[in-house]
Amino acid sequence: MFKHLFKLMWNKRKHNFLFLSEILVSFMVIFAISSFLIYYFQNYSKERGLDYEKVWSVSYDESYKTKNSDSLTMYYENLKNVIKALPEVEEVSFSSNNIPYANSISTTSITFKGKSFDGINQYLVGEGYKKVWNMNLEEGRWFTKEDEVAKDRPIVINETLKRDLFGDQSAVGKSTADYEGNKKLKIIGVVQDFKANGDFQPSGRAMFWKVDTAAFRWLNSLLIKVGPKADAAFESRLYKLISNTMKNSSIEITHVSELRISKNEATVMPMIIFSIIAGFLILNVALGLFGVLWYNINKRKGEIGLRRAIGASGSSVSLQLVAESFVLASMSLIVGVFFALQFPLLGVYNVPSAVYLTAILLSVGFIYVLVILCALYPGKQAAAILPAVALHEE
Amino acid sequence: MIRLQNIEKVYRTDTVETLAVNGISLDIAQGEFLSIMGPSGCGKSTLLNIMGLLDEPSKGSVRIDNQDISHFSDRKLASFRNQKLGFIFQSYHLINDLQVVDNVELPLLYRNSTAKERRRLAEAALEKVGLSNRLKHFPTQLSGGQRQRVAIARAIVGSPQIILADEPTGNLDSVMGNEIMDILINLNQREGTTIVMVTHDENMAHKTHRLVRLFDGSQVQ
Repeated sequence: MFKHLFKLMWNKRKHNFLFLSEILVSFMVIFAISSFLIYYFQNYSKERGLDYEKVWSVSYDESYKTKNSDSLTMYYENLKNVIKALPEVEEVSFSSNNIPYANSISTTSITFKGKSFDGINQYLVGEGYKKVWNMNLEEGRWFTKEDEVAKDRPIVINETLKRDLFGDQSAVGKSTADYEGNKKLKIIGVVQDFKANGDFQPSGRAMFWKVDTAAFRWLNSLLIKVGPKADAAFESRLYKLISNTMKNSSIEITHVSELRISKNEATVMPMIIFSIIAGFLILNVALGLFGVLWYNINKRKGEIGLRRAIGASGSSVSLQLVAESFVLASMSLIVGVFFALQFPLLGVYNVPSAVYLTAILLSVGFIYVLVILCALYPGKQAAAILPAVALHEE
Repeated sequence: MIRLQNIEKVYRTDTVETLAVNGISLDIAQGEFLSIMGPSGCGKSTLLNIMGLLDEPSKGSVRIDNQDISHFSDRKLASFRNQKLGFIFQSYHLINDLQVVDNVELPLLYRNSTAKERRRLAEAALEKVGLSNRLKHFPTQLSGGQRQRVAIARAIVGSPQIILADEPTGNLDSVMGNEIMDILINLNQREGTTIVMVTHDENMAHKTHRLVRLFDGSQVQ
């Protein structure tokens, strides 16, 4: 029977072009949405890798004008120590602008065994950075004062970069080089992956440098981990303290939790809008499919009557119409899956293949359910057609 | 073979009640070739539909092959039609999107027969009606007479005991009509198939064993 239905539907493919097109478009839309959703869910279900609660970011302008690096360093170290001495403060660290959840990014490349590894998020950080974010060290250690005089510049990398560079081997003690291949970089530690671009984005490759004296000339971010007693009144006092120290500087204190919300919204909002539009599209497609099937039944009354006459029961006529829809959907899905498979094969957008493959399976399942649901009622109506009436009408 | 007892068929709408068949009793023996004649709207096709279990009488009983079918479920009726009855229609009722051989195979799809068996039986049926060279054609590529021969092949492919033909020559010219009639007579004589044929054509009706005339839903001859 299935072969018969396939033959019948294949011969009617031009007639069913609208139906086939609707299914194909629906599949591609569902595939796109489910790819996004699975990708975001997969990222969301991974550990965050950092604690954003009670972390405040203080941005400032360069306020201390001097050509003497030692004085400059002393000025900022002094400021840091004053802040850290406050009872509400747990840790303080200088940082480059691209703090987690901020809209600023800084990327670089490194070379290892003659091969370049691109798209690495680089963070210039102080000694307290790890404690501010409560990051987990997977191996090795974090920066110390002694690293400032190390022969090879020490770096800390994250798990993703470690995996890309060394696979399952240990990274600590191994050396790489900067993007030009000139400066030697020594890996002293590996931190757990952390999602700096929001809960729905992947960690990606990351690398940390320690702040050196020269960096104080352009650094303008200070991260403060505060304790549970840090309230609005403390924030006001902190602001005054920093303002009084950094005269003529424009100071801004931001709660990182707010940055995180904003960053997550940037992912979620387009997804919600896209899903609503897709939902309406699918609803229209469902109504269209329902209409096409209904129309087909009315056009095929003679055939339905004939089938009843030669031995089909009402339920088998109903089943046949559902099965025909299934066959038609399969014909569209073969084309759709062919196109969808190009995404994992070509590695589009660097999304893992498993995401695309799961999305394909989900979309195929969704389309089959949609088509079968749309075919059930028309199929039931077809079963109720009296054969004598159907044959007479033809 | 077929026993109709006091059959009545009433069609009701909100305002009108039409008596299509009025108290017809008929016995059709095995191997008989019976024709039913009458003016349009006299209830010929309705009676044929009742005999073919495509419609239920409002009153009376139908027995086919000594079985009272009044208590049959939809599924059992379908199976009974598939096994015992073959249908030929004035407008052929071929599926234009299927090749001739696939059209003929249709009744066998509702049986537990293999694809190979279906193909063998369909080819044999088409050979009987002289269309073994048209297996791969589509119905739209055939003449009216050829289409009706395909419909006959479809009706006989399952070797039914009874063939019900509703004006099988109605859409054909006299030459083609005679060809179709010869095939039916041949079937009746050689294979002993019981045939009930509704026709408007007096000449065709006279070629059958018995003629039943209807008028306003009642049997007049």
